[in-house]
Amino acid sequence: MATGVAIVSSSIMASSSAMALNIFVCEPEWQALVHSHAPDANIYSATTAKQDPHYVQARPSLIAKMRQADMAMCSGSELEVGWLPMLQVRSGNPAVQDSAPTMLYASDMVGMLDTHDHVDRSMGDIHAHGNPHVQFAAEYMIPISREVTKRLQLLDPDNAHTYMRNGMKFRANWRNKLAEWETKAEPLQGKNVVGYHATYRYLFDWLDMAQIADLEPKPGISPTTSHLQSLTKLDPASFDAIVYSSHQDQRPANWLNQQINKPTIQLPLTVAEGQSLDQMYDQVIDELLRTLVNPDTSTRS
Amino acid sequence: MNKKLVSLAVGSILVSPVFADTLSNPQIGVVLDGYYQDGQRNNSERGEGFGLGHTELNMSANIDDKFYGSLTTVIEAHDDETELLLEEAFIETLTMPYGLSIRGGRFLSDFGYLNNQHMHTDSFVERPAAYRTFLGSHYYDDGVRANIVLPTDLYVKFGVEALSGSKMSSVDDGSDVGVYTTTLKLGDDFSESSSWQFGLSYLRNENGKVCEFGDHDHGHDHDHDHSHGAAVTGSNLYGADFVWKWAPNGNYKYQNFTLAAEYMLLDGIVDDKYKNDAESPDTLAGYYVSGVYRFSPSWSAGLRYGEAESYDGHAHGDHMHFTAMNDKEADAMIAWDSSHFGTVRAQYSRVENQSKETDNVFTLQYVMTFGAHGAHAF
Repeated sequence: MATGVAIVSSSIMASSSAMALNIFVCEPEWQALVHSHAPDANIYSATTAKQDPHYVQARPSLIAKMRQADMAMCSGSELEVGWLPMLQVRSGNPAVQDSAPTMLYASDMVGMLDTHDHVDRSMGDIHAHGNPHVQFAAEYMIPISREVTKRLQLLDPDNAHTYMRNGMKFRANWRNKLAEWETKAEPLQGKNVVGYHATYRYLFDWLDMAQIADLEPKPGISPTTSHLQSLTKLDPASFDAIVYSSHQDQRPANWLNQQINKPTIQLPLTVAEGQSLDQMYDQVIDELLRTLVNPDTSTRS
Repeated sequence: MNKKLVSLAVGSILVSPVFADTLSNPQIGVVLDGYYQDGQRNNSERGEGFGLGHTELNMSANIDDKFYGSLTTVIEAHDDETELLLEEAFIETLTMPYGLSIRGGRFLSDFGYLNNQHMHTDSFVERPAAYRTFLGSHYYDDGVRANIVLPTDLYVKFGVEALSGSKMSSVDDGSDVGVYTTTLKLGDDFSESSSWQFGLSYLRNENGKVCEFGDHDHGHDHDHDHSHGAAVTGSNLYGADFVWKWAPNGNYKYQNFTLAAEYMLLDGIVDDKYKNDAESPDTLAGYYVSGVYRFSPSWSAGLRYGEAESYDGHAHGDHMHFTAMNDKEADAMIAWDSSHFGTVRAQYSRVENQSKETDNVFTLQYVMTFGAHGAHAF
């Protein structure tokens, strides 16, 4: 690492012990995760649960937040390629450049699914590095937590012990929750769904479920009438429900529901305001169980 | 399904990053722009009939941990000639302290709102008449820039540039550093759903004032020879710009609206010795207001109105002959996006030009990109 960067980083470290760290995250799930490790930090999320993280404006307020960040964390794997590089360059902040140890990408710690040797845009908006929706890569939250701890300790050595303790607490809790979720979600094994986008690829892989078709004709291309028509010809026995996210247009899912009478499930894209990461997983698994396993007790209208 | 063992193994193997750089290096992108046009807008680079617009080849990458570099070449075809233009070739610092960044080489000036944005991101076929008149559509030049972003929640950016000014020169042998600019940008969110940016710009042009006019030969008359310089120049160009963007809950995918407006004022246009001549230009102003509404992920529509004052001047033996002119342009466009990377646009413009003639211009255009697709500015 260049001496210039080292000097800048050390001056950030020196000043940070006096005041709370400013941490910029691209998506709310990383706000929840970082908060578990550094509860005293000011964590700002660039997007909300209602926004599609592919389509975000590199707006002035985000550049201003990026300028002040001591550390930044994003999903990576080109999920934020349409706006994050603009924020990095425009902020003039060395701490958030890709070369800095304080710029962290969660997908660097994840064994990526759906990586491609050959990517062509006729295949839609797909990423050669793999599916970037790693907030549902449940088992990889353990190595992500380790890396977050390490980077926080590097940035703020005075509080290294606190970060270590918080990280261990997070991972111990997460391991318990993993075991609990896997037991609870056993009835979901082998369930098949039609999904809007490959948002839950990691979740379904982990729970032994499968998404057999997408409402989008190609990744990132909005559902078209002709494509939805073709989905009505799917074998009704081949899937159990239609899944979409809270930030997505619900009309295509509802239309298909009327045509083929399969239930729709709206799942969160990320944590809700004030929700922790494990609470979001609880919610997702409960939603899936309620529709796919216990439809009789369903309270949905 | 022994998940516990898997997670333990994963935890120990994957503590170090798998790929440090999640973006490919270097990024190479191509912009294809073609059109069919009936009629012509004043000071425009697009002629009648079939033609190619701004065909771009861009390459950019981090050079190392301290510098970023970018190269943009533009290929333009006019009749039988094909021109290769170097629009950008710059390096920029990444790790300066205090929110500073320095750029050197050839680049698009930060003056105004649209100027530093690449043409393929525009919502209309042409830049507004004010840009075509005062900045040669988009002003790029050789020089240096320094920017500083303040560490405040209100976005405050202050920038200065020193540029050669050769495209903006109206004298034969002017200063080597002809143009200086200073810009101030402010911006913030009104709410989760809407954001704004306000800018003030000043451009000092040491070689902008016209001191001599030839017989019927002033540098103004560029209508048909597609010069890339400004149509009129002066000593000082002032600019103010405002942009407001809105999307429900800040989710820009399904629906959004952009309102943009800019005002420019040029002074110090001709030498004092001409100030008593009839219609000798003192100040010239230009502005536009545009609104673009995206009503579905694939469709958007927009309206724009703009005016730009200019003049014509030529010597008649021992006396001068000045004519004040004003371009007025109203545009309506509708665009279909085949994906994030392809756009087909139809635009109708009602043009009222200097000689008070109105003209209807219709353009059907595609702008498509392949390869790397850089992040867009606000």
